[in-house]
Amino acid sequence: MAKHALSCTVNDEPVEVLVQPWDTLLDALRERMGLTGPKEGCGTGDCGACTVHFDGKPIASCLLLAMQARGHEVRTIEGLGKPGALHPLQEAFVKHGVPQCGFCIPGVLMAAAALLTENPRPTEEEIRYGIAGNLCRCTGYTKMLAAITEAAGATAGRRS
Amino acid sequence: MSSVMKTTRDVKGIGLSIVRPDAPDKVTGVVQYVADLSPRGLLHAKLLRSPYAHARILKIDVSKARALPGVRAVLTAADIPELKKKAPTRAHAVLAIDRVVFAGQPVAAVAADEPAIAEEALDLIDVQYEVLAVSADPLEAMKPGAPPVADAGTEADTSEAQAHGSVAGVATEAKPAKAVNISQQARLQRGDVAKALAESDVVIEKTYRVPMVHQGYLEPHAVLAQWDTAGNLTLWSSTQGSFNTRSEVADVLEISENRIKVIPMECGGGFGGKIRALCEPITAILARVTARPVRYVMTRREELEAGMPAPQVIIRLKTGVKRDGTLMAIEGEAILESGAFSGAVLAVSGVFLASLYRWPNFDVKGFEVLTHKPSIAAYRAPVAPQTIFAIDSHMEQIARAIGADPVEFRLRHLQREGDKMANGQPWLNNGAVEVLTRIAEHPLWMKRAEWKASSKGGKLRGTGLSLGGWLGGLQPTGATVRLNPDGTLQVLTGQVDIAGTNIALAQIAATAYGVDIDKVKITTGDTDVAPMTGLSAGSKTTYTVGVAVMQAAQNARNQTLEIAAKELEASVHDLEIDGGKVVVRGVPNKGITLAQIGKKGNLYMSKVEPVLGISHPAFSVQAPAFCAQLAKIEIDPDTGELTLHDFVVVQDVGKAINPLAIEGQMQGGAVQSLGMALTEALMYDDKARLTNPSLLDYRKLTSADVPKIETIIVEKPAPHGPFGARGVGEPPIVPAPAAIANAVEDATGVRLTELPLSPERIALAIANGK
Repeated sequence: MAKHALSCTVNDEPVEVLVQPWDTLLDALRERMGLTGPKEGCGTGDCGACTVHFDGKPIASCLLLAMQARGHEVRTIEGLGKPGALHPLQEAFVKHGVPQCGFCIPGVLMAAAALLTENPRPTEEEIRYGIAGNLCRCTGYTKMLAAITEAAGATAGRRS
Repeated sequence: MSSVMKTTRDVKGIGLSIVRPDAPDKVTGVVQYVADLSPRGLLHAKLLRSPYAHARILKIDVSKARALPGVRAVLTAADIPELKKKAPTRAHAVLAIDRVVFAGQPVAAVAADEPAIAEEALDLIDVQYEVLAVSADPLEAMKPGAPPVADAGTEADTSEAQAHGSVAGVATEAKPAKAVNISQQARLQRGDVAKALAESDVVIEKTYRVPMVHQGYLEPHAVLAQWDTAGNLTLWSSTQGSFNTRSEVADVLEISENRIKVIPMECGGGFGGKIRALCEPITAILARVTARPVRYVMTRREELEAGMPAPQVIIRLKTGVKRDGTLMAIEGEAILESGAFSGAVLAVSGVFLASLYRWPNFDVKGFEVLTHKPSIAAYRAPVAPQTIFAIDSHMEQIARAIGADPVEFRLRHLQREGDKMANGQPWLNNGAVEVLTRIAEHPLWMKRAEWKASSKGGKLRGTGLSLGGWLGGLQPTGATVRLNPDGTLQVLTGQVDIAGTNIALAQIAATAYGVDIDKVKITTGDTDVAPMTGLSAGSKTTYTVGVAVMQAAQNARNQTLEIAAKELEASVHDLEIDGGKVVVRGVPNKGITLAQIGKKGNLYMSKVEPVLGISHPAFSVQAPAFCAQLAKIEIDPDTGELTLHDFVVVQDVGKAINPLAIEGQMQGGAVQSLGMALTEALMYDDKARLTNPSLLDYRKLTSADVPKIETIIVEKPAPHGPFGARGVGEPPIVPAPAAIANAVEDATGVRLTELPLSPERIALAIANGK
């Protein structure tokens, strides 16, 4: 089967790559664009490790066919912040010692960033449910909640 | 071994909550796991797995798969000369030969240009099976005449128990005739149990069940294999122990160990499930056959169906006590369902059942039973949570039956340092009493009666606690510490850092040498360059590798001081390291910088030896580590829904080298423990096929399910640990199932003995009033 040309915007840059018709958006990001920050933990939308922003909304990129992203805006963890210029959420995750094995972290951060965009001052309960689609096996979530709460204060303050 | 190390001044090292240096890479997606590697010419592997738990393979036709464009290799057992019919371990059973013994066992392997092509090729392989009767239940499998799992003559595999080094001196017994699926058996006995039970006032008998559960690491098993033309193999592996992986793969492939280089990649969680080789041998063989790099990444479904989960554990306990609380006897049976291959850690269970508390008479039997399910492996404190669920639930019920305070009752009978364990070894220094005492002082425990009395709206409120622990792991290890020409330190071990141990090791090196942490870099080397290093498992990384790093740093410090003594024409005893300089005590302007000493070790024509501190210790003294947990809950008796309001973890860590990292361990372990208590179970049908092979149906706890976990660190120094530290990883996964079950009884008056404590089970038990 012939490959398809996928044109979309990824991390604010226009991108055009050839993808297989069966490639998921996650496959296209990881295998065709070299953006390996989003992880595949299950491939069935249950773990959240592949979370990216699709037109600003958090989605499981393993559940979307790559060609469905044509003309849309995608943001991955690589487009959230960079070493040396971290997003406040990333800063807070480092400071609170959140990452252990680290595999879930890109997905959790993208879910949390989308939450803060929609709701700059979430309650603890709202944070809890905001990242409930992201499984983590190492941290027990406690330090994540503290880090997101702190970053929420920082980002909300920055905007106001 | 001296463990108390004094530095000449306070350095930025031990005891500080220092953020691990790889954290920025982990929050930006920069850090690389095996599945992120794509070398030129990469092929993708997929395995065809048996749909049946027990079947004879009559015929495999791979011709259509081989003919598919893009397919580079299709292998069956017939193509692999190293395969033996009697596979002693799961790793040796690379592909099934003539019989499959669990659903999900690999029967054929494909390497192709794209994962989708490999998957299509699997569909084109035609396997004819003759389905055989299964042993799906361990109690049935123990009976004579049950369908046999192992080939006759296969030896029990005790390497897991040895790897964890947890319990010595438990004799294994010869197995009874005809019980073909009992692969290991042990018995611990003292006194006259029958007589003591007859003389008891209160006898309680219960059977506790914990199903198979999965370790649940987020990163599935993954490996990348590549051979060079000289016949050397490189494996990029997600492993908890690169030297262990190397040994197992060398053994299966029948090549020498120095021809294999294992590069331990970032490990996306292990928890015991990434100790034993699993997909490394078949990936290496595919790479050899194709002469291309081959990457294999398990799917989540494969992980759940054919990973290496924790055993199902069924424990029957019968205890007798006097009305005044005097312990009389315990009789017990622990059945560990090991799946299709032997490998359970049998002895931990027996020792905790018979000798966590002071039973004057005991008779505890342990059985490892094979069934037609995936073979098991370690899962964080293997078998301890299941065992503590039984014995702690039981202690709570005894205390209630005789009207004793549950904490005082446990404290009264808890074995102390020097008391004999059931295997004849003495209990070593530990903080069991301290953590139990500390948690009983917690306001949530002090106010438990008020919480219970505040029940309203038909809901029932309760509080429960539990005490559990881990005997501590040991394994020889090694480390080097070098002084660089700029005065910085370079620490090298082979230790895979999953939990944040590298920052703790760097803190130990900084303190032991006498420099600040920012002058220390720690590297995890591959098996070609690192000193032999043990597994990252069994709560022994900081305890053992920490000693190696501490001694290597002391060794480097001594070498540094000797060089400085010559240069400064001073006695070594008058020297100290301060602010990156070796100075003569009391003469602050007489000194030489560490950079000057480091440079002399790397100067053309220099006669000064480079500083290279080395330590490669072996160990004989474990450091048991205990944890107490408290749960404050509320139950809706109509639906059985359990709401966890508060959860407290009190743990003895010996010495908190890095409190931030330790809190993370305590919180993560507690939530795994709560998962075992509340939601997790691998569920099998009567044909031994998994009925919940997805993370939708295998329910791990989410951020919406658990409260913030409160952590309280207790420090009772371990006499042989580095700076007094003891292992931290295992203890927090142990107590929650019993703590929750005890809280449920406090709230509802019913006692549940089978995990998980699901809403259905709770509601039914309340409805049945038991």
